[in-house]
Amino acid sequence: MSLSALSTIALTNVSQSFSHHGHQVQLFQQLSLCIEQGRSYAITGPSGSGKSSLLMLMAGLEQPSAGQVAYLQHGRSMKLTQLRQDIGFVFQQFHLLPELTVLANVALPLKLRGEKNAEATASTWLEKVGLGHRLNHKPQQLSGGEQQRAAIARALVFQPKFIFADEPTGNLDSKSAANVADLLFDCCRQNGAALVIVTHSPPLAARAQQVLAFNNGNCALLVKPQMEVQDACY
Amino acid sequence: MHATEQLRQNLQLAWHFYQQQKQHSKERVLRWVQGILLLFIITLSQTSASIQVYLGQNLANLLGADLVLSQPRALTASQHNELSAMAEQIVLSQSLTTTLTYNDQWQRATLKAVAEDYPLQGELRSAAFPGGPDSASSQGPAIGEIWLDSRLLAALGLQIGEPLRIGDQQLTVSRILLHEPDRLMEGHNVEMRALLHRQDLQQFRAAEDIIQHRYLVEANTQQIATIRQWHKTHLPAAQLHHKHGAHPLALFWQRTENFIGLASILLFFMAAIAMQQLSRAQLPQQQFFSAVCLSLGASKQRVLQISVLKWLFGLLLLLPPVLLLSALCHWLALQWLKAHVFAGQELAGSVATLIWQPDITLAVKTVFASAAIFIVFNLPLWLALRQCSVRQLIQQQQRSISNAVLFGCALLVLGGVAAHYSDNGLLTAMLLGSMIASIALLLVLSWLALSLGEKLSQPFSGLLPFALYMMKQRLLSKTTQILGIGLAAFLLLFTLMLLKDLGDNMAAHQRAHDGNLLVTQASATQMADIEVWAAQHNITIRQHKPFIYAQLSHINGGLLTEVMQKPSDSLAAFNRPVRLHWSADMPGNNRLVNGQWWHSAADNWQQLSVEQEVMTDLGLQLGDKLELVIGGHSIEFSIVASHAYQSGAGAITFWLQMPPAALAHISAPQYSMASLELQPQQFSLLPQLWQQHPSLRMVSLQELTQRFDSSLAMVTRLISGFAGLIMLLAGIVMLSSVHAVEAKEQKKNSIILSFGLSKRTCLQLTMIEWLVTGAIAACGAIVATWLAGLLIYQSQFSLTYQPDMGWLLGTLAVIITLVTTLGMLLSKHSLSGSVRQLLAE
Repeated sequence: MSLSALSTIALTNVSQSFSHHGHQVQLFQQLSLCIEQGRSYAITGPSGSGKSSLLMLMAGLEQPSAGQVAYLQHGRSMKLTQLRQDIGFVFQQFHLLPELTVLANVALPLKLRGEKNAEATASTWLEKVGLGHRLNHKPQQLSGGEQQRAAIARALVFQPKFIFADEPTGNLDSKSAANVADLLFDCCRQNGAALVIVTHSPPLAARAQQVLAFNNGNCALLVKPQMEVQDACY
Repeated sequence: MHATEQLRQNLQLAWHFYQQQKQHSKERVLRWVQGILLLFIITLSQTSASIQVYLGQNLANLLGADLVLSQPRALTASQHNELSAMAEQIVLSQSLTTTLTYNDQWQRATLKAVAEDYPLQGELRSAAFPGGPDSASSQGPAIGEIWLDSRLLAALGLQIGEPLRIGDQQLTVSRILLHEPDRLMEGHNVEMRALLHRQDLQQFRAAEDIIQHRYLVEANTQQIATIRQWHKTHLPAAQLHHKHGAHPLALFWQRTENFIGLASILLFFMAAIAMQQLSRAQLPQQQFFSAVCLSLGASKQRVLQISVLKWLFGLLLLLPPVLLLSALCHWLALQWLKAHVFAGQELAGSVATLIWQPDITLAVKTVFASAAIFIVFNLPLWLALRQCSVRQLIQQQQRSISNAVLFGCALLVLGGVAAHYSDNGLLTAMLLGSMIASIALLLVLSWLALSLGEKLSQPFSGLLPFALYMMKQRLLSKTTQILGIGLAAFLLLFTLMLLKDLGDNMAAHQRAHDGNLLVTQASATQMADIEVWAAQHNITIRQHKPFIYAQLSHINGGLLTEVMQKPSDSLAAFNRPVRLHWSADMPGNNRLVNGQWWHSAADNWQQLSVEQEVMTDLGLQLGDKLELVIGGHSIEFSIVASHAYQSGAGAITFWLQMPPAALAHISAPQYSMASLELQPQQFSLLPQLWQQHPSLRMVSLQELTQRFDSSLAMVTRLISGFAGLIMLLAGIVMLSSVHAVEAKEQKKNSIILSFGLSKRTCLQLTMIEWLVTGAIAACGAIVATWLAGLLIYQSQFSLTYQPDMGWLLGTLAVIITLVTTLGMLLSKHSLSGSVRQLLAE
């Protein structure tokens, strides 16, 4: 895909800091990178190093202390409000609404957007993630792995261009984690969506095409030898 | 570990836990709910106690004798002799309600006639001219003189020394009447007063049984006991008050307290809803704290003890401000009562006055009773804590509170409050019935609206279908919220509607059916003269119904005062003679409720039909025997039917009715009630009638309206205070219901934001939810108000209720706007969710 045909999130000289009890805490400085639609990224680093803050900046949900975040479509600069409509999230705690069935949870973003065939589309997606037989179950009746599959279906059902996943396998056993990771990468690839994963898991980070590693206030884009990824995860 | 040491540690832990949580909004709301209820109950009980103390003093000060015996007729010579033998001294005063006229002015007043032996005890105070210094008089007016109270003097436009004509008698106004020592019961009405000599009253030749004879008796304790016994056997129909007995108004005030207490069930119900929501909201924190304690080796009993102690700290620290505030409210209530209810008493220079004196023992009792209520409300939370375990920390699962337990506890409290304040079956049933009906209506309406809304909007996408869908999923919590708001709106609406409509309807209805002049008592001669006078001036007599006076003395052989202990309106009225009507057929404005109306040719004349509400109030049944004293003779009647008022054929109706055949066996003066329609200019003809017949009782529509307006103004003030409390609690119910689902709402909004939707979408969704909530609550409240209006107007005021649709729709809009605005303001916190919060979890 040529660059001009894709949607891209471009971070230019971005710094993020916050004030804590009068002290200025610097998370990262002068970071420049591009998140391109169709590619996968992993963000690794120790707790509190700024991974989630970077995720929020990329999603256009927070403003950087310095620098610029731009959203480009076909090479043209778009408003950040447009970016917010093109993103989906997958969380470590799944965050399915407990009152709704699995089908209703997945249909939720479509219904809110006023789509007519919300439930049919949601049902197709649930089939795709292997939950076709669990449509009318409530989230608490599902295992952790199943809940995360439903969450993936919900994040992708409205065809976002970017998926941000925060520790998507952090609450799962290794077998479920592997299944969920397969599903997440496959679905994003099939949908042509970018996938940005925040993770502590080296095997998961290793599956991404690019890895951003935080270390002592620095963030580095790693080339992908397996060992380097292993070292970058904590 | 020693038990005391453990308790000390528990106290420390509970205090620490309390300190940590006291600033949480949920705890603050809980304090508000408990505070409002405590304030209400303490103020009510303290005010009521002050009134009862005042009435006790009032009785001692205003009896003007050691014992007072009163009845419409004079004692017979033998009765008088018997009473004299048992007493040290007897003084007679006679009183008659009449209308005095002077030039073109007229004024209804009570005339009291006394002789030289008056007063027996206490001081008779008067002044030589209006505003002049008051002085004690050793006796009342001389023959040919009359003393008027200053209001009556002003109302008639008279001056001291001017002549006042009553019937054929001309009296000179000689002094201003300030205070009579035997004014028991008379200070509690607003009737204007005049004092004259007994010989002058005899000139009026008024029928014996319309003159109240009051025998003031000087007697020692032993003699009082003997006279009381004699009264039971010889004069059961007469009223007897003595200085060691209860004030005749004591029961009335007990009734007032009970009525307000019963109405407070709604406050308790709303508090129950608020507390239920708060318990749900508090549970996760309390369970987490308990689970951590359990994981550190504490026993369940200890965890529970800490929770109870923490609650106790909250209550104890709430008491000082609540007690101070209730003392202030108590003082304000007494000031208000002094100014509006007991004003006549104060004016009359009564020694006794309403004193603000908090009753500490009563306050302690009230606080304990309220604490017991709060414990029951809190029980579900503690029961849920008992099931708490360390497993929750591992599995992140919470045990919820059982709805059955919550419902059961609320029911227990409401039942307890109802039982405590209930003194009258019908009133309790009506109040509780209308509340239960409105609750059921709101429940059904919520369920129907949300279920149907969700079902119908299922095929569609968008914000409204989604909002309805989410509300349906949270049916229970939404219904509770709607119930709270709906009940508050119902109460407010009903209160306002009653105030607005009653005045309008009453005037219109009265005029349409009853004319604008009501004759409440006219003797046969007087009625004949009225008919002639009406014909002369082309005035229509709309209704005319005869009656005789009858005093109820026994029910099924038992003395009325002994059989009936609980206060009721009916009982209060039966302490005086009531009107007994006769009719061969069922009157047009009555319908048969129970039993069978007599056939005109029936041999058995000792039959009665009793009004339905009286039956309920006095606990009567068909077949019961009532002994009535008529014309000095006791006659036993059997209840064969029960009737109720129905509108459309005039408003004059009677509680007791008998077959016309009974008249042949009864010798008593007959009177009439009638209603007439006068042209405005014809009102100036009335003095002529009154001068001719001073004892004729007539009341014009203007006077009726004035009396009604002054009562309504008093009720309005009382109800406004109550409505203020309701609004405050309604706000708290909304706040607590927002708190109960705040965490869920915040999460829902954060998830919506994670779908790439804006905060505006969350705002719109919340607004739709509040609009729907407000609309259902408002519709429920309006329908409930309409139903209650229909039932209560008919049964209590005998009016046909015609709601004003424009007014109702306007109200609907106001409620929805208010609920939505307040809801949006309260939901501010739940709208502050963000994707970062989801990431942080």
